Amino acid sequence: MRGLLFVLLLCGPTLAFAQDDDWGDDWGDEDVQAVEIHGLVEVGVGSRVVADDAQPGDVLMNEARFRLSLSHFTDRAEFSFKGDALADAVTGDVELDIRQALVTLQPSSSLVLRLGRQVMTWGTGDLVFLNDLFPKDFVAFFIGRDDEFLKAPANAVRATVYGNTVNLDVAWLPRFTPDRFLTGERLSFFDPGQGQRVGLENLPAPLDAVRPTATLAHSEAAARLYRTLGTYEVALYGYVGFTKQPAAFDADAQQATFAPLSVYGASLRGGLAGGISHAEVAYYDARDDRDGDDPLLPNSQLRVLVGHEREVATNLTLGVQYYLEHLFEHEALLASSFTPDYAPSEQRHIVTSRWTYRARQQTVTLSLFTFWSPNDGDGHLRPVVQHQWNDAVSFAVGGHLFFGDAPTFFGQLADNTNVYGRLRYSF
Amino acid sequence: MIKTLPKLFFFLCALLLVGGMDATAQDLTDVHTIIDRANLAAYYAGDDGRALTRLTIVDAQGRERIRQFTILRRDVEDGGDQSYAVLFSRPADVRGTVFLVQKHVGEDDDRWLYLPSLDLVKRIAAGDKRTSFVGSDFYYEDVSGRAPQEDEHALIETTDTQYVIKNTPLDPGSVEFASWTVWVDKATFLPMKMEYVDAAGDVYRRIESLAVETVAGYPTVTQMKVSDLRTGGHTISEMRSIAYDLGIPEQVFTERTLRNPQREWFSTRP
Repeated sequence: MRGLLFVLLLCGPTLAFAQDDDWGDDWGDEDVQAVEIHGLVEVGVGSRVVADDAQPGDVLMNEARFRLSLSHFTDRAEFSFKGDALADAVTGDVELDIRQALVTLQPSSSLVLRLGRQVMTWGTGDLVFLNDLFPKDFVAFFIGRDDEFLKAPANAVRATVYGNTVNLDVAWLPRFTPDRFLTGERLSFFDPGQGQRVGLENLPAPLDAVRPTATLAHSEAAARLYRTLGTYEVALYGYVGFTKQPAAFDADAQQATFAPLSVYGASLRGGLAGGISHAEVAYYDARDDRDGDDPLLPNSQLRVLVGHEREVATNLTLGVQYYLEHLFEHEALLASSFTPDYAPSEQRHIVTSRWTYRARQQTVTLSLFTFWSPNDGDGHLRPVVQHQWNDAVSFAVGGHLFFGDAPTFFGQLADNTNVYGRLRYSF
Repeated sequence: MIKTLPKLFFFLCALLLVGGMDATAQDLTDVHTIIDRANLAAYYAGDDGRALTRLTIVDAQGRERIRQFTILRRDVEDGGDQSYAVLFSRPADVRGTVFLVQKHVGEDDDRWLYLPSLDLVKRIAAGDKRTSFVGSDFYYEDVSGRAPQEDEHALIETTDTQYVIKNTPLDPGSVEFASWTVWVDKATFLPMKMEYVDAAGDVYRRIESLAVETVAGYPTVTQMKVSDLRTGGHTISEMRSIAYDLGIPEQVFTERTLRNPQREWFSTRP
């Protein structure tokens, strides 16, 4: 793949760079172009601002990214490629992250096929996911990379059938693609086994997890049946696969692993009282631990979300959400757990808010996202200021604050409170 | 013959639409008739339409930003509900973003935004229609039209070529202006100039039609300028590859287009 990128880089300039933004030009779109080329260059730095004994250093992000996006249309198909080369001074590596390598086919007016590496999203939550079991990158999310990196790409076959009364979206991931989870590198987290926050200083190695063997039976499938009813969008969801986080433990390998999981759910979204309301439910079926008495596997869950977003003043938008995670068979979990003191609560309530204020003709955006759990007492704040300097250059400065006691979800991250800045040039 | 009949029909409609063109015709005196015809001429030409649009946003220091997109429109009913789909091509960081609007007269519009980098379909609160459209000096309401029922209209002057109409909002708390005045071309019924006046009586915002072309029989404003007299900034909107009555199906204005905009309808290549 690395070879391909360099070939593309070499060929690039000769293909279609005739796109200056001069008024006299032909506006690009009327052009019959071989390949459209875009991309970006971005540098990002970020650092922990609190002491963390579990980590050897405080720099969480120190990187330069180069992206090349290529797309090409024919009458029958659309080809798109988006590849990032990331020079990462924190790990000392140069990584190639192919975010998209996709063929889109529209064989009939009612069928769209998307084949290849792609980012996928569905569901109604804002930074809260119930029926969206597509891979996410929580490292990127907590160290200050752009929001787009919260979604990690996956190799998939996606088919969407547009029917007269209902539409069907099916995604099949031949190989299980987990989240990009916290490993102890950069970010420390709570390890119930050690009873403390762990990082590179007190872990023998960054956390690794045993993946399900790459067989057909271990592939992932997700489906969504949806339609619009007036102003409302209704959807039913199903998923068969594994927990996206290494929430289980493989006793043979003495390593974290992913537990078999099926998810069934539904959502509703539409205009209400001058704003947008959404509601979503999902049942997480821990297929191999329905009784909840296997301490190595997570229990089944019910997840419920309701939210509302509206413009509260000119250019100021507020979104609020209430989210519930209910653990089934909590008593069995406590009875069988090796570390009952650190076991999760039976119910976890979370309230989120998102404040967005746009100023100076939308070139400046002030945004604050908050998570807070009234019963677990932990939370997370994500303030960010973004400025679009011109059509090509933008920058962002922000922070991630975590608070709460160690075993709770955000409390375990408390020693990772950080600030960051990014500068991006898009072409 | 069967095939040419609809065309003939449209031609006749077009003639009717621009019927007031005849300079010797009697001036209209009913302000509602003028406003309704102006609304139809500016926002409802044909049953549907497509244009490649470029907004050049210029701030007081002369710094330019560009927003370029293909816009599709389909009328549910003349003077009534409409659907809009907007596919952005520039600048690079918003390329592929799709904006979909189901405009409902007298109710909140339904609005969706698709962000390709996240594969995210976002629903946007209807909110204030008099806020900036994609960071330009245009407001959402300038793009999709302000319902005539929201203002009280008074014909204050009839010149050789224009009707001058003063509009006062029925709900002053819902808008930032005290009144606005529109200069409507007598021949085409297109609004040629609009000026917005604040509570102090000062003009603080002006929209001018800089160029008009007749496309498929429909007089069309192809170049427009909106000036913010307070900030000193302005935005110029230019349209190309304009086409009407393409027969764009209703299905194009659904979630399908957000994720998979069909080239057949969005391509403006000749």
